[in-house]
Parts: sequence; structure tokens; C-alpha cells
Amino acid sequence: MTINESAKKLHGRLPHRVMRTAKEARKVSRQLFRESFRDGKLDEERITQMVQSVLANKPRHYVDVLQDYQRLLRLEQEKRHAVIESASPLNRSVGDQVVNNLKSRYGDDLNIEFRTNPELLGGMRIKIGDDVWDGSVRNRLRQLQEQI
Amino acid sequence: MNTILQELETTISGLKTDTSRSNVGTVRECGDGVAKIEGLSDVMLNEMIEFPSGLYGIALNLEETEVGAILLGDFTEVREGTEVRTTGRLLSVPVGKELLGRVVNALGQPIDEKGPIKSDKTYPVEKIAPGIIKRKSVSVPVQTGILPIDAMIPIGRGQRELIIGDRATGKTTIAIDTIINQARLNKAAEDGKIKNHTPLYCIYVGVGQKNMSIARTVDILEKAGAMPYTIVVSAPASESATNQYLAPYAGAAMGEWFMDNGMDALIVYDDLTKHAAAYRQVSLVLKRPSGREAYPGDVFYLHSRLLERAARLSKEAGGGSLTALPVIETQAGDVSAYIPTNVISITDGQIFLETDLFYQGVRPAISVGISVSRVGSAAQIKAVKQVAGSTKLDLAQFRDLQAFAQFGSDVDPGTRKKLDRGSRIVELFKQAQYNPYPVEQEVAILFAMQKGYFDDVPVDKVKDCQNKLVEYFTTRKEDVLALILDKLTIDKEVEEKLHSAVKDFKGFYKP
Repeated sequence: MTINESAKKLHGRLPHRVMRTAKEARKVSRQLFRESFRDGKLDEERITQMVQSVLANKPRHYVDVLQDYQRLLRLEQEKRHAVIESASPLNRSVGDQVVNNLKSRYGDDLNIEFRTNPELLGGMRIKIGDDVWDGSVRNRLRQLQEQI
Repeated sequence: MNTILQELETTISGLKTDTSRSNVGTVRECGDGVAKIEGLSDVMLNEMIEFPSGLYGIALNLEETEVGAILLGDFTEVREGTEVRTTGRLLSVPVGKELLGRVVNALGQPIDEKGPIKSDKTYPVEKIAPGIIKRKSVSVPVQTGILPIDAMIPIGRGQRELIIGDRATGKTTIAIDTIINQARLNKAAEDGKIKNHTPLYCIYVGVGQKNMSIARTVDILEKAGAMPYTIVVSAPASESATNQYLAPYAGAAMGEWFMDNGMDALIVYDDLTKHAAAYRQVSLVLKRPSGREAYPGDVFYLHSRLLERAARLSKEAGGGSLTALPVIETQAGDVSAYIPTNVISITDGQIFLETDLFYQGVRPAISVGISVSRVGSAAQIKAVKQVAGSTKLDLAQFRDLQAFAQFGSDVDPGTRKKLDRGSRIVELFKQAQYNPYPVEQEVAILFAMQKGYFDDVPVDKVKDCQNKLVEYFTTRKEDVLALILDKLTIDKEVEEKLHSAVKDFKGFYKP
């Protein structure tokens, strides 16, 4: 089971809470989050252990703790998640070339997803975490519009 | 045709597009003009954030996993999940002389239907105030044209003088009178009637006011011919709290351009009470911790950093100045409330307006006892200083004695004299709105008062006598007024001429 799947499963078990996460709960969830790494990477085993321990012990605000913990895990996951968008599906050799380039720049543990988005008109748009490399025709047209 | 084609060709060849790198985030929640955004890991404090609909926001809260941003404009299009991106720019407004005569909003966009503003210069809205080395002390006066202010609470260029008082006590009127007087002086200087006059450009920032009030102010300024020297920045009550919060800073940026380019400018913030309330709203929606009266902890810094931007620069730094006239509205005359005490401590003095005086018919309703100008006397014209030196003391003594004199009619001649003089000074200082006096007329009136020429005029006729004296000077003794304006001091020659002119007038004046 990947971290993403376990996070989704966890989310399904938690009741929907509109209330803002209590300060205390945020503190605990941050602590759990800090303990979730091994060698600078998220460790599935540790995460599962910690979630099970929280669910078994049910400390104060445990639902809030887990919700906030899940959010932190999701954000951390997104940092290592690359979305490669193109107007039409990429052929295998181009796709491999892009993936190899990204892995050499951002590391091997990237989680890569290909998407087709006709709105781009042409070219490619790559999103890794918060960073976006936009070489799409749509973006170039927007740049031209701004310049004119 | 060929030239058009060539121009097009050069324009097209100059265009460049490239793969761009940007930092993006996703809107998590949005409401009340504020958005919480996840991501945006590279965003700077106060950086502009672009929304897909062309809307901009400013990052105000940088938290561990999210950013709190205020939205500038119509935020109804923003949805949860909308992708936003950083721009790498700080919020800027257009600046320059092109803005004079225009009414703009908090972002510097024209709202007066007079077409686009042709300025190519911009200044960041938030700017660090000039440092110690760049500054010098106040030395040039701001002639407000309001007799009690010029005589007793003089304002210098680069000073920050607070106008404080309850609602409907004439706070805005003082500010508008000052702007009108600057326009008159600027125009007179342009026509060559006044020598050595550096023009003083004005900026009026209306925050949280009724649209009607701002429209009236613009109308008054237009009728008085002051708009060509004035910029009006408007953020009325119907605008979002964000724009009300930004408007004074936008106005300050426009004023700073004049200052940085060796010119003098005056800015009126009308009023900072509503500005603080707008900032409180923004802060509460951003979930910042609240303090006294629910204002956030940095409400002092909100006003101190704004008013610190008013300065007089040294010659080496260009010699320009920015004078600030902030306005604060009190509740039931309570100057010890939170925001009034904050702003009083920041400014270099205050003009306090009293409701009681206003209803007694003393207008402008300036309370002499608690109105002060901490630095302005250094900038006061010598002639005014010579004739108004003891006026404040005379008036303060009059207020003290007036309380005692109410209980009995038997007072010694010395006290009677002080009471008589005081009641006449009060009459002299009454002044119709939008009718500022030129400085030479002020000197003539104050001279006649100081030398006791009004002492034998019945109190209810003092105003009439004053008006006729001014009329007499402007129609028949223009040379004396010109001499005062030329010398700006009362030497023996001026004194003799003033004495003979006033005696001449008193000879035929019948109360």
C-alpha cells in the first residue's frame, strides 16, 4: 500500500469536522510528521505504526491530530509529485526523456503522473510540488498578450 | 503604410516567449476578501499573487503550510481549488505629476472618467521611510490660511500634525482649507505674484467615508480651483476593507514621488480611525490574534510606518518634503481611546477641535489649551511670530479667567483687560470655511490685535471691523501688504506703515 493510499484510507475513517484544528492538535500532528521520516524520506512503516498507535490510544483531539497529520503528509507527498501535462498524449521516447531529465534534477523518488489537457494547445506544462515549468502554447500566447 | 508595417515588424521581432518558471498554490478557502492558499512556497511577504481571472492579491500571512492573502477587487470568481501564482512584484501605484487633478482608487486607477493616467512611473505602496541621514529639521512653513493655526499652532513642511475631534466639528474643513490655500499660493507663485515660493502639491486620501462626502470634497476643490494641484485617493465605505487599508499607503507613495524629486507635498489622511477599523477587519478575517478593542497587535506599527514616511529631506537628498495631516475622529471628546493616543504619540502635535466651541459659534472650533505643534514654530514666518508670540498665552489666560469671572462682576482692571482682550481674540479667530487668509493679511490683523486697535470695538462688532480692515488693506493699502510679503518680518519701516494704516482706518470706522 502506498502512502497516498494509506492516507486516503485514513481520511475515510475520520468523521468530517468543520471545526478548525485545535492548536494542541496541530502541535502533536507536527510532532508525528517530524517522526515520519527516515533518511530524509517519508517512511510508510513508521507512518502506519504511528497512526495505529494514535487510533489505539485515542489521545485528546485525536481526530483533529490525524486530520492535520494527513494534510501534512499530503502536502509532503505533493512536493514529490510531478504532473506532466501535454495537449496530446506523449509518445514513449519523449515521455522517458522528460522523466529522466526530471529525475536527474529532482531525485529518483519522484512520483510521476502524465495528463492530457487540450487547453494547453501545444507544448508541455510540468508541475512539481509548487513549481511549474510552463512551455505550453497557451502560456506563450499569454506572455505575448502581456507584452503587447 | 510602409512605416506601419515596419513598426509592426520591429514590435513582433522584439516579442519573446519562453518556458516560464513560476511558483503556484491552490486556494483552500476564500471569503470576506481574504483567501487561504496552500503551496506558494517561494512567496515573499507583501508580494502580489495573480489569480486566473486577472485578479490580484497580496500575501500578508506566511504560515508553515499556507499563505493568507487579501484580494484586491472582485473576489466572487475565486473558488476553492483555484490555482494562483506568484508574480515576484510588490504592489505599486502610478506616481507623478500626471496624477494631479485626478481622482483615483487605492490602486491608482482613475475613477473620475477623465481617461487613463499617462504616467509611466510607479512606486511601491509599502516603502521604508527615509532614514536619519537623509532628513533635516522642519524649516519652511505650510501656510494653512487659517488664522488661529498659523498664529498659534504653526505647521512646517515635513511635519505630521494630527487633526482630532468628534464627528462634525470641522476636521475635514481644516484640511480642505489648507489644500485650497496651497492652490492659491501655487497659482500666485506661477503668476509671479509671490517670490521664492516652492509649490506645495496636495494629496487627499478619503478612507471609509461616504461616497457623497468624497464627491462633495472634490466639488469644493474643483470650485476653488485647487484640483490642478491636488490628487484625490478615494476608498469609500463601499469599497472592500482591503482597499481601505491600502489607500493611505498608496497616497503616501504618490506623495513620496514629489518628495524624492525635490518637491514639496502635503497629504491628508481622512481618517485614520476608519483605516484602523478596516485593518482590524482584515486582521480578524486572517485570524490574527486580536488585542485591545479587537485591534491586532501591530495597529501601532500600521500608523507609525505610514506617518514616518512624512519627512523633510536634506539638501543632499534632494530637499523635498512630505507633510502629513492625519485626521482622527474621537467619541465624545475622548482623546484617551486606543487609536487617538497611538496617533497622538506618533505625530508632531495635534489640532484638537471641540464640539462645545463649535456649537458656541467658535469656528474653527480649535481648543487652544490642548492643541500643540511640537516643531512648527521653527518654521513660522518671522512676521507672524512677532505679532502672534503671546497670543496663545493670552487666550489660555482668558479661558482660565473666564471661568472665575462668571461668578462675579467685580474684577480688577488688569483681569478685566485680559478678559476684554481674550474675548476679542476669540472673535478675530472665527473664520468662515473655505476662506483662507493670505499671510500678509494675517500679519495685518494680528498686528492690529496685538497693538490693541480692536480694544475699543464692541465684541459683537469685532468681526465686522476685522473684515472692513482687511478690505481697507486690500483696496487702499496694497503697498503695505506687498511690503510685508516682501520682507516677511516687521521692521521699523513696516511697523510705522502698519500703525499709520490702521490708525487711518480707525479714523473713519464707525462700529
